[in-house]
Amino acid sequence: MKELSVNDKIVTVDDEGFLVNRDDWDEDVARAIAKHLDIPDLDEEQVEIISFMRSYYNKFHAFPILRNVCKQVKQTGACVNNEFVDPMKAWKIAGLPKLDGIHFVTVDGVNYLLEECC
Amino acid sequence: MAVAKLEQLSQSVVQGPSLATGAIPTKDWMDIPVVFKPGNYAFPAKKDKVEYLNSQSGLHFPNARDWSPEDDDWQLPENWKEIIINGLRERLEKFRSLKIFMDCCVRCGACADKCHFFLGTGDPKNMPVLRAELLRSVYRNDFTLAGKVLGRLAGAREVTPEVIKEWFMYSYQCTECRRCSAFCPYGIDTAEVTIVIRELLHLLGIGINWILEPVSNSNRTGNHMGLQPHTFKDNVEFLADDIENLTGVRINPTFNRKGAEVLFITPSADVFAEPGLYTAMGYLILFEHIGLDYTWSTYASEGGNFGLFTNNESMKKLNAKMYAEAKRLGVKWILGGECGHMWRVVHQYMDTMNGPADFLEVPKSPITGTVFHNAASTKMTHISEFTADLFKHNKIKVDKSRNDYLNVTFHDSCNPARAMGLLEEPRYVLKHVVNNYHEMPENTIREQTFCCGSGTGLNTDEIMELRMRSGLPRANAVKYVEEKHGVNMLSCVCAIDRATLTSLMSYWNPNVGVCGISELVGNAIVLDGENRAELDEGLRTLL
Repeated sequence: MKELSVNDKIVTVDDEGFLVNRDDWDEDVARAIAKHLDIPDLDEEQVEIISFMRSYYNKFHAFPILRNVCKQVKQTGACVNNEFVDPMKAWKIAGLPKLDGIHFVTVDGVNYLLEECC
Repeated sequence: MAVAKLEQLSQSVVQGPSLATGAIPTKDWMDIPVVFKPGNYAFPAKKDKVEYLNSQSGLHFPNARDWSPEDDDWQLPENWKEIIINGLRERLEKFRSLKIFMDCCVRCGACADKCHFFLGTGDPKNMPVLRAELLRSVYRNDFTLAGKVLGRLAGAREVTPEVIKEWFMYSYQCTECRRCSAFCPYGIDTAEVTIVIRELLHLLGIGINWILEPVSNSNRTGNHMGLQPHTFKDNVEFLADDIENLTGVRINPTFNRKGAEVLFITPSADVFAEPGLYTAMGYLILFEHIGLDYTWSTYASEGGNFGLFTNNESMKKLNAKMYAEAKRLGVKWILGGECGHMWRVVHQYMDTMNGPADFLEVPKSPITGTVFHNAASTKMTHISEFTADLFKHNKIKVDKSRNDYLNVTFHDSCNPARAMGLLEEPRYVLKHVVNNYHEMPENTIREQTFCCGSGTGLNTDEIMELRMRSGLPRANAVKYVEEKHGVNMLSCVCAIDRATLTSLMSYWNPNVGVCGISELVGNAIVLDGENRAELDEGLRTLL
């Protein structure tokens, strides 16, 4: 667990960087989580992606198809990887919970693949 | 989990001191304890997952607790020994095959170097003969006269907490691929031994998270990815949008439609992530092209069945939705997508486990009239059989040159190859949709195919190095055709393969991609009324 100080409040993320209390989220919290995950600041493209992820999760309670994310925010097809390297970072910055059976793997630290369970 | 550099890992495999490189063990195997350290074990199932599953009807996952393989004390239930011995007795009575497999091994060693885990780790206990011996020694001790009288002289040993730890280590370094059994003169199915060991461990609350998460998802939503009906539908429709974008043809798939002729079931991963997504686009294009009267189901929304990797009860429960949904919708038969272990379950267990499906008809292709008598009892046909028959009768219009950007080889996925004998059909289909095709060496394909190294729920990232080791024999064969023939695409008919081979290739052969066969079929099909752009990368092209 790690406490991040954002403006006048304290929010908690777990050891992997997932926001513990989803209601704590706002854009400043997102920037704090991003900093915690070594992304110094969020640009417009990144904000679009995490906003879409939040609205997607609210509707579908699932991780989105990444190509779909890019299509919806009108960015190029590998936008999430391009913007965040590890797409799970985008999910964490969006303050969304860890989902069963979903992980991204990398063997070179550069290319992250969503390796679903099966 | 960081993975060792390729040079380091490959040198360690071929030069490190191991049984595979000629080093001689200094101790008897029974005297070598297992040591758990980060990277050599998959994370145990979380307590709340085990509790949830145990609370569900028809499932039995007792003794939930927080524990780590690195703990000295695994907090086994007080009567753990009784549970194990009774559990083994029950299974020896229930599965006659198990008793035979326990009795008849002559330790000829034919299986020893056939296991990808042994080849990749050199660990003697990964020789299938010895992996089975981990259980067999306990069987001898408690269930045979020789073992009771002669003890260790007869290869018997008492079950102890150390034995339980050893079982956990090595039953989760086996992917139940059955390559060893293809070489066993007695036909001992070591996969069934692993299955039984894992079952026994679950009685003590010992299992891994990467398996129990999908099992609980599947129990809750019908599929491993935990997709709810509206999400499943939205994902398939997204694929239809993408197809329209690429080909100009609008496909309108239906869901849960009563009265459809065919129910189509595939792994949920196919409608969730790359490269499975392209395989699913291939299905959609094919069915549109031939005008198949079929429906998807948001309930039977998973072909795969991680229950197979836990115990008999959960496999049975998770699979029951296939027939239940077929009955509810009133379809005539079921068509199954590209999946590996799903076909072991469907082909070998479903009929007796969930059947008889006497409300269904023997599958008959509405396009060609072919009756699939091989599926007379299960009423479920594999997409490769179905597609091969369509090609045989010239019912698919293709332009093979659309796949000319690829040079393809075919990985026989373990279960379709060895558990259902699906060897020719995928190749027959490939022959009709690609011009550039090369087989890997003959001792690595067909019945002798090498596993991806991450099947049976071992595709979790905390054991990435182990996975890269156990996948090396497969990767090595791919490298051979890459260097010799310029192969750049590894095709297969399994969803776990599509995910895990992608990681394996990105490590060992980064210039080789991975795809399902139906992706290549879909890309080659010439749709009526299409307005197709120049697609340099087939269905993967970003427009």
